[in-house]
Amino acid sequence: MHIRHLSLTNFRNYGRLELDLPLGPILLHGDNAQGKTNLLEAIYYLATTRSPHADQDAQLINWIAAQSEEPIVVCRLVADVAAAAEKRQIEMRLIQEVNLSGRNGGRTFRREALVNRRKVRLMDLLGKLQVVQFLPEDMQLVTGPPGNRRRYMDITLCQIDPIYCRQLSQYNKILEQRNALLRRLAEGRGKRDVLPIFTEKLIKLGSEIFRRRAMFLANLARETHRIHYEELTEGKETVRLGYLPRLQENGGRRADELIALEQLGEWLQSHVDDADAVQARFEQALAAALPTDMVRCTTSVGPHRDDWRFWINGRNLASYGSRGQQRSAILALKLAEIHWMTKISNETPVLLLDEVVAELDEHRRALLLTYIKELHQALLTATDPGMFTKDFLRQATTMAVENGRVIPDKI
Amino acid sequence: MATNVLPRPVQRLIDEFARLPGIGPKSAARLTFYLLRAADDQAFDLSDALRELKERTRFCSVCFNITEEDPCLVCEDLGRDRTLLCVVEEPLDVVAIERSRAYHGLYHVLHGAISPVEGVGPEDLRIAELVERVQKGNFKEIILATNPTLEGESTALYLQRRLAGLNIRLTRLARGLPVGGDLEYTDEITLGRALEGRQEFKE
Repeated sequence: MHIRHLSLTNFRNYGRLELDLPLGPILLHGDNAQGKTNLLEAIYYLATTRSPHADQDAQLINWIAAQSEEPIVVCRLVADVAAAAEKRQIEMRLIQEVNLSGRNGGRTFRREALVNRRKVRLMDLLGKLQVVQFLPEDMQLVTGPPGNRRRYMDITLCQIDPIYCRQLSQYNKILEQRNALLRRLAEGRGKRDVLPIFTEKLIKLGSEIFRRRAMFLANLARETHRIHYEELTEGKETVRLGYLPRLQENGGRRADELIALEQLGEWLQSHVDDADAVQARFEQALAAALPTDMVRCTTSVGPHRDDWRFWINGRNLASYGSRGQQRSAILALKLAEIHWMTKISNETPVLLLDEVVAELDEHRRALLLTYIKELHQALLTATDPGMFTKDFLRQATTMAVENGRVIPDKI
Repeated sequence: MATNVLPRPVQRLIDEFARLPGIGPKSAARLTFYLLRAADDQAFDLSDALRELKERTRFCSVCFNITEEDPCLVCEDLGRDRTLLCVVEEPLDVVAIERSRAYHGLYHVLHGAISPVEGVGPEDLRIAELVERVQKGNFKEIILATNPTLEGESTALYLQRRLAGLNIRLTRLARGLPVGGDLEYTDEITLGRALEGRQEFKE
């Protein structure tokens, strides 16, 4: 799949942008703070309804427009997408209204999503444009907190599997209800016989999420291992991606805790087709955790505490791996993600690479560029186009990004 | 500081309107000036209607719907099927089901759904009254017609537990395709449920 045309209004440093995008690799070059990253962010936001950079979505609205005295400011992102079977237009609107009467006074903010000019729920936008993004900060997937790794898993899965997305959102609501009930019970209010109702719903939805994640990670692990072993390290190193489902009370930090969770992950991956077994196991885990959960007023087991890890040659990559090894593992993961998305959806995703190429050595860079040639479209940013080979630059479309304007050129 | 040029009664009505849901100060002012210019009758009718609303309505002591008479007209109607009971969240749900003209049994209004996040438990709803009513009554079937939301589903599940031992048929409203709807625009969950609940096609 590819984007044929991108239109931005009041997004970040773009007041107005109308940009035709060709097939193949597209190299956006220019100095820092001109809008290269913002362009990729816009595309990623249309695909996932999330920004990898902004803490609050209101920050995405062009700053000058947002500060103006206008009663209503609309930031608009529109992409014409060509998929294998159909063409579609997807649109996001971020709307800031001055609301003098409002009790919280000042400004209100809301978001709208449209597919082919029809309003849809935000959730229904997912999957209409499929992207794989690779940023320098993705290195933190190895060493950062589990929340990062869960978010990566959820955003990737939601692009492909709308049912997963729905179940995840329902699971989170049920979890919130159950935790609220645990708090009420601890305060001596509420009725104990309501707890089984929410626990049962949690088990049903949670088991589905466990199963879908186990399937996803098993697929991703297989391909990551292959790419890493065959194409990145020429058979010298093996990387293993292990699912750590929170199917038991577990700190998830010490080596023995990680081993216990990884065994549960392997058990899950051999039971992905056995919904009853997964439900029974989750039910058991929730029952075992109930006494502590009653005291802590929170639910300590379940997919909301899941994690996954890399092992390099049998050791924890986060603790024992070098920067180079971590970089290779993430590159293999991203290439595997492209492979997985293409296989599942019969569409190649649009690849977004922000300044990543500069961080890779020649061998890894060459491998990445061969993968890019397989895709219908890839957008890359770089401050210095000189790092690319003449051969690559001949095939790519180059565009200069200057202060919120994008000018096709030829290098 | 600017002096308030509006007479006190005008300002008072604007403030009252502005307290209502969905009405901001501008609409409140517009409504107030409309009434100010309207014929006296219209304003007095409105004030009478408001007074009557609070003075003449109460909850039916049987089904807890809003009513003028207690028991309400539905509960008193001997032409209805008194072995059939439909449990709903809100009085407006009764109105919706009546409009369908497809139901001729009795009702029970819970006045909400279980939602710990909002601090609503079974003890805040008319559930104890429902259980007592079912135990004493002569019902053959109870339709759990709470909303198909997470809270509504949880409430239905809870009611099912509470009423399970009474040997009465418990049913839940079917979920599926809207009449005049289009398969290709139906979301996967609704379509999945509609498939689960498919029925024999007979003439």
